[in-house]
Amino acid sequence: MAIMPIEWGKVREYANATAAARPAYLDDPNAPIPPTFLATVIYWSRIGDTVRAPEVAEACATVGIEPDVRNLLSLEQEYFFHGPIPRAGETLHNSERLYDVRIKQGRQGPMVLVRFLVSFHDDQGLLRAECRYTSAYVHKEAS
Amino acid sequence: MTELAQGARLPERTFGPVTMTDIVRYQGASGDMNPMHHDDELARSVGYPASFSAGMLGAGWLAAYCTDHFGEESVRRFRTRFTQVVYRGDRLIASAEVVRLFEHDNERRLELAIQLRKDDGALVVDGSAEFALT
Repeated sequence: MAIMPIEWGKVREYANATAAARPAYLDDPNAPIPPTFLATVIYWSRIGDTVRAPEVAEACATVGIEPDVRNLLSLEQEYFFHGPIPRAGETLHNSERLYDVRIKQGRQGPMVLVRFLVSFHDDQGLLRAECRYTSAYVHKEAS
Repeated sequence: MTELAQGARLPERTFGPVTMTDIVRYQGASGDMNPMHHDDELARSVGYPASFSAGMLGAGWLAAYCTDHFGEESVRRFRTRFTQVVYRGDRLIASAEVVRLFEHDNERRLELAIQLRKDDGALVVDGSAEFALT
């Protein structure tokens, strides 16, 4: 598992970037994290490795979509929190798991839907948060 | 906090007009450096009129809107679905409606339907969230 230390300055930066002006986010050395803060895990782990999994490439090949960043859209993120909200000063340990790949017909032709889950445990091994990601490779042609 | 019943709506909050500064500040803060959000030339090369905002910036604004009402420590679930891309200059309006009040793990919770719309009414982020009530 990869580590993700939660830092006060990072919480403050993220809060500022999302117009979250509450003093608890800005002025508390043990600031609680904003609801979508765990998106910053990408500074610690290559989150989304599963969108490059062989089964994803295979599904893309089936419908003629190039699995390239220019064709990748983030469709949904869902966070779940268990127990007290993580705070600055804590260290989380994260792991990622691909759980669904499917081809779907969208408004602009076929897309490959990719769903993966990132889990966050604390130093005691307790599950503190999870994030379910849904991304899609779409066929986007130059007009 | 005001008493909230099923069907109650939170006062709306406006964000934007979205600027490149908003977008790159969020990208730097989040670590998502996808160039589709700041490189117009790249975005145009695949058919978009310009680079577009990060979906998670809209989600973050909705999160700030919610925590302003319910506090920082009460979030239990927070889902955002990105339904349309947002371009620079767009003005966005956050709204939320109480869907239900329920008990879970010995606490009183509230489920919200949350939305972020452009000022012409187009839905850009559609979501659902749960907060504990104290």
